[in-house]
Amino acid sequence: MTPVAGSVALNLAFGCSILSIITLLIYNRTSDHRLFLTGQRLGLAVSFFVFIATFTLSYQLLISNFDIDYVARYTSFETPMIYKVSALWAGQSGSLLFWLFILSIFNTITIIQNQTRHHSLMPWVIIIMSATQAFFLILTNFITNPFEPTQAEFVVVNGNGLNPLLQNITMAIHPPVLYLGYVGFTVPFAFAFSALVNKDTGVLWVRSIRRWTLVTWLFLSIGIILGGWWAYQELGWGGYWAWDPVENASFMPWLTATAFLHSIIIQEKKDMLRIWNMILIVLTFSLCIFGTFLTRSGVMSSVHSFTESLLGPVFLSFVFIILLSSFGLMYTRIDDLRSPRKIESVTSREGGFLFNNLIFVVICFAVFWGTLFPVITEAITGDQISVGPPFFNQINIPIGLALLALTGIGPLLAWKGTSNRKLIQKFTLPTLLALLSALLFIIAKMTGYVVISFSLCVFVTVAILSEFVKGVRIRKGKFNESSIVALYKMISKNRSRYGGYIVHLGIVLMFIGFTGHAFDKEKEFGIKVGETEQVANYNFQLTRMYEQERSNHYAWITDLRVTNLSGDFITSLKPEKRVYFHKNPDINKRQPHSELDIFSTLNQDIYSIFSSVNNNNDTAFIKIMINPLVKWVWIGGYLLAFGTVIALWPRKD
Amino acid sequence: MDFIKDYFFTLVVFIVPIIYSIQPLLLPALTIRKTSNNTSALSRKKNILYRQIKELEMEYDIGNLDKEDFLIRRSELKAEVSNVLYKLKKK
Repeated sequence: MTPVAGSVALNLAFGCSILSIITLLIYNRTSDHRLFLTGQRLGLAVSFFVFIATFTLSYQLLISNFDIDYVARYTSFETPMIYKVSALWAGQSGSLLFWLFILSIFNTITIIQNQTRHHSLMPWVIIIMSATQAFFLILTNFITNPFEPTQAEFVVVNGNGLNPLLQNITMAIHPPVLYLGYVGFTVPFAFAFSALVNKDTGVLWVRSIRRWTLVTWLFLSIGIILGGWWAYQELGWGGYWAWDPVENASFMPWLTATAFLHSIIIQEKKDMLRIWNMILIVLTFSLCIFGTFLTRSGVMSSVHSFTESLLGPVFLSFVFIILLSSFGLMYTRIDDLRSPRKIESVTSREGGFLFNNLIFVVICFAVFWGTLFPVITEAITGDQISVGPPFFNQINIPIGLALLALTGIGPLLAWKGTSNRKLIQKFTLPTLLALLSALLFIIAKMTGYVVISFSLCVFVTVAILSEFVKGVRIRKGKFNESSIVALYKMISKNRSRYGGYIVHLGIVLMFIGFTGHAFDKEKEFGIKVGETEQVANYNFQLTRMYEQERSNHYAWITDLRVTNLSGDFITSLKPEKRVYFHKNPDINKRQPHSELDIFSTLNQDIYSIFSSVNNNNDTAFIKIMINPLVKWVWIGGYLLAFGTVIALWPRKD
Repeated sequence: MDFIKDYFFTLVVFIVPIIYSIQPLLLPALTIRKTSNNTSALSRKKNILYRQIKELEMEYDIGNLDKEDFLIRRSELKAEVSNVLYKLKKK
């Protein structure tokens, strides 16, 4: 396939998306079903052309056609095959095309899945999805075209190659998964918008998108966790979350989406919170677009980059259009959006859900403000400032702990209201055990947030497990089943509820991991072969240091023998110092990179970084970090994914 | 040969989807057969309501719902199911 085919496909896709919108708008006035079919098919054609464009660019990346600027910028002959594929989302124009590609997959699934369903909602659903596609097609056709030819006046012999930090398998998987999350929220938003237009804001649209929202939320969650995993494995600063704008860009929609997932349960069961749910899905979708803007416009590195290209203004205009049109429409539909029922008690499950929603939104606002404050300051005063982890931690740790408490409180509350007798009955055991554990943690010389966090983890775990125990007991009494059968049947017949509880347990494990950060230790030192250095309760002996030339880099490798203070062997660590593009005669284009090595246990991680080597090649500068409980973050992530899959698993009706 | 190959590729990749898209416009005026759509929508609604009744009973059994609220909500759902069943029967 020639690059021209890709460009032509993008042009045709843009044309079809506009035609699809126009056709369906006319259909809404005339009700001529031929127009609906045409609009629907044009929607499918848009997706088809986007697939062609994406496959064309992927092919050009694979065959190293350096006549295309994008291919020359992000790959070279030495780039391994898998990273040639992942280069598709490594740069600006490629990643926008990839956004569009995923949106087109979702568009196709939505259209095919709903050919005989939701007839009243579908025209506007397709219009909204086509409009979103049209927006990205404007970007990829007219602002940052991935098929742009190389500008050089000479033949490009070899490309720049992919940034070594991106040459990591997690980084090859993380962006697509995250994008599946970002892009997926277009579908619930399209249904919500359509429900508003059709004045059908009751339970129907919520039921239509609940499963879809859960799948999308799962992808977004896994994407964020993979991002943290990659940062931990690859960036070499010993952490997995830095409140970096790119991380925040994915975290903000996750917060509002999580709030939305909870509050649609209320609408589905009680037909309450209609306005609130509309607000949440509009915010979530807008934050997905805004997040893409933050990561792709370059505005976070300097506000001036905003004006250097049309990309930023066009992105922001689209966000404003979404917000204005959605909230404007909500204003005109305010009577339909008023829920027939009201929350009656603070100690009701509805009240708990609403409170949890408010906390999610408050955290989202704090993250939003902290992320954008440097940009606003630079735009007004011209001074570049940064808002770092202390700000985010100071605000979000107490709010996050309140949220952790609610993950345990919520499941214990009854619908409509909980009587005092029930409150005492349900809260006594978890509260007592949490207080007892707090006492033990204080005796173990822990203080402040650490004690609160660990005690809340105990509270939530006991609260949720007691719900499982209670459910099993009832089934055993009612159906005379064994405990295992009762547990299996209870979960399989109430997948969303118990899947949700498993997700909550995953969150508890993640909080255990987050809290472990309070006990981190680190030491940086220079060491020669044969020497030993002590860090915390371990000795690190440098037994060997050697060099190796590999296909796409040159590496200095150390061999560190780790023993405990009694001399027992623990592990051997091999952190590396690499230089990528080492054959490039231009020394400035060679890229140094520290490939770290981690020994991970449930208790702690021993994290080793080979920072540098001296000129005589006899002293290695090593940084060792002892990071307790980190593994629980990843285990919590697995449990979160497992719980979501249970909640999603189709039931036999 | 190359020309035919290129022409064929262009036809299949770029022209066929457009012909497929605009083909319905060449048909005589269409009316939607709403009956089958409505029937499947109704039976889906019926399943959802049955499921909601089961969930409600579970909520009541594990003590997350008081008796009064349970009875009101169950009778509401049952009325809704009866209505759906009546409509399905009429079709």
